[in-house]
Amino acid sequence: MTDLLQTLLNGVAVGSGYALMGIAMVIIYKTSEVVNFAQGEMALVSVFFTYMILHTYGVPFFYAFPLAALFAVFVGCVLEFTILRRAKEQNVLGMIIVTIGLEMVLIGLVSWKFGAEQKVMPFPISTYDTLMIGNLFATTLEALTFAIVWVIMLGLFLFFRFSRLGLAMKATQQNKVAARLMGIRTNRVLMFTWGISSLVGCVAGILIAPKSMEPFMMWDPMLKGFSGAVVGGMTSIPGAVFGAYLVGIVENLFGQYAYMEFKSAVAFAIIVIVLCVKPSGIFARHYVKKV
Amino acid sequence: MKKRIIWAVATLLSLVLFAGLPAWAEEGVTDTEIHIGQWGPQTGPAAAWGSVARGTGVLFDMINEKGGIHGRKIVYHTFDDGYNPARTLAGVKQLQEDVGVFAWVGGVGTAPGMAVKDYLMERKVPWISPSSGSLHWITPPNKYLFASYPLYKMEAKALCRYAVEIMGKKSVAMVYQNDEYGKNGLMGAKEELAKHGLSLVAEIPVEKSDTDLKPHVMNLKKSGADTVLLWVSPKHALITLGTAKAMKFEPQWMSTSTCSDYPYMNEISQGLWVGVITTAFGDGPDSFGPLMREYKAAFDKFAAPDERWGTFFTAGFGFAEPLVEALHRCGRDLTRERLVSELEQLQYFRGIMGRISFAPFDVNSPMCRQGQTEVFIAKCAEGGDMIQLTDWLKID
Repeated sequence: MTDLLQTLLNGVAVGSGYALMGIAMVIIYKTSEVVNFAQGEMALVSVFFTYMILHTYGVPFFYAFPLAALFAVFVGCVLEFTILRRAKEQNVLGMIIVTIGLEMVLIGLVSWKFGAEQKVMPFPISTYDTLMIGNLFATTLEALTFAIVWVIMLGLFLFFRFSRLGLAMKATQQNKVAARLMGIRTNRVLMFTWGISSLVGCVAGILIAPKSMEPFMMWDPMLKGFSGAVVGGMTSIPGAVFGAYLVGIVENLFGQYAYMEFKSAVAFAIIVIVLCVKPSGIFARHYVKKV
Repeated sequence: MKKRIIWAVATLLSLVLFAGLPAWAEEGVTDTEIHIGQWGPQTGPAAAWGSVARGTGVLFDMINEKGGIHGRKIVYHTFDDGYNPARTLAGVKQLQEDVGVFAWVGGVGTAPGMAVKDYLMERKVPWISPSSGSLHWITPPNKYLFASYPLYKMEAKALCRYAVEIMGKKSVAMVYQNDEYGKNGLMGAKEELAKHGLSLVAEIPVEKSDTDLKPHVMNLKKSGADTVLLWVSPKHALITLGTAKAMKFEPQWMSTSTCSDYPYMNEISQGLWVGVITTAFGDGPDSFGPLMREYKAAFDKFAAPDERWGTFFTAGFGFAEPLVEALHRCGRDLTRERLVSELEQLQYFRGIMGRISFAPFDVNSPMCRQGQTEVFIAKCAEGGDMIQLTDWLKID
């Protein structure tokens, strides 16, 4: 029984990292219907920036993390303004291809600047510190990640519900032309969307980096976060979080009690099953566009 | 008469024109150059091993600075394959067919190497020291393929023997990368333990894309292993150790030569690598042998400023040593057949790796193309220093 509970807890722990990446992808998808495959690498750039200011310039944590947050927002806004907005074929498929290209450029940039070898991310909490709950354990970093997921989810819920910018984002997603006619500067809204998404991705990256930091570190969490978001519904933030936990739990159960070899692949099997049964995802509303 | 004079002049001109050409017409060799190729991942998931190809480049710079080999400079062609076999094949074909490479050296990875093995062997292009310890290089043996990296299988045998015979361990488990690299190690561990009447208490596969290894470590802990062999990448080795530390599971960890860069492993594990036992296939970068000092001087002179003097960079020197030695022995009369013949005559050749011996080609004897069959066992000490635990061990 302890094993089963520990496996479930492990699933929730790893799912928290996926959830942050899932939230970041959903934020962009909600406003522009673009699946951003560069999400992981946008976070990667911010993580390596954080590493640089902490490690090379010796900036204290207290200043480094807010600086990293600002940098992440800046990266998101700049990429949207300079690349995505300039794309000539602004259909969904074209934009997805642009994000895949962007992903390759960013990972190349990080590899070129920082090298491919593993790095050690300075972090205030040791990755080896554990919290015991009876016979069960989780690392302090996992507990922190879990708490941050809920804070971000709640913060985004309030932001989209009550803030002017949040409402403008929702309006832009629902009808871009109408939103513009209502005086919303939709381009600027999209730019901020990318900024906020990049910020959430950066938080995910900074929490993943203490365990393993190298240029390919964000690929797996991005794919799993995307899987979670698809399962939960690409337009629902709570759905993305739920989906990410589901992916984390199922892959841990599968690894522990079925086949370890296919532990990672099971996330994609979940996507197929959910898409067959409920194509919009578990939590999202199913929209039918009238032509 | 007029016709005869024209014929005589033409013959004379031909003699004058062609007399100056060299006697050899071997692909990749000119009067002043030898073209050597190597691929290596400078980007992608295996980019940390890209330093092997860069190390070889520094060795060739050092040789060229001294005037080359018998008056010929080495022209080194290298490209980034990103550890992607399709790119390896495309790059090798392009260089082979456009430039004309005389021989290939090193080349990180079993999968990229397998993608080009048949192509090179069909064209009878010598390939020396593939940078992995796979059994594929020698089963079946190929006349033009000379492996020097010790077999992963041998390394696993050496570690299991040490664990059981010297340390008295009884419960050995293994975490292995679910590919050729990991499975070769698994095979060696099983064979060696069977000789002692034992078997692995747990065999845990890891996929290259895995980032969460908690279920793996839970299974290890449940198995009650007192020793765990890590046949995985440095990244997965660190995640395993970190997760085990958090779970308060502390067996004797052992690992392969691919994780034997102690200063690096110690730094990125923040000290967790101390006490880990590994095999090693060559002298450490900080050893005091005169050859290693010479290589270090070349590194200081030719390597990029941000390059790291580590185990894999020096391995780039070591993998190319048998080729360089055979080129020296060939003299000016350099052909591929002559190179193969000289390589076959290498006996207990010692550079910075273990001793290397080949034998005349025999299709029924894989070991005629396995140069190095010895490793030593070492332990990571505080600060990433290496403590050598055994002398060179010859493993069959």
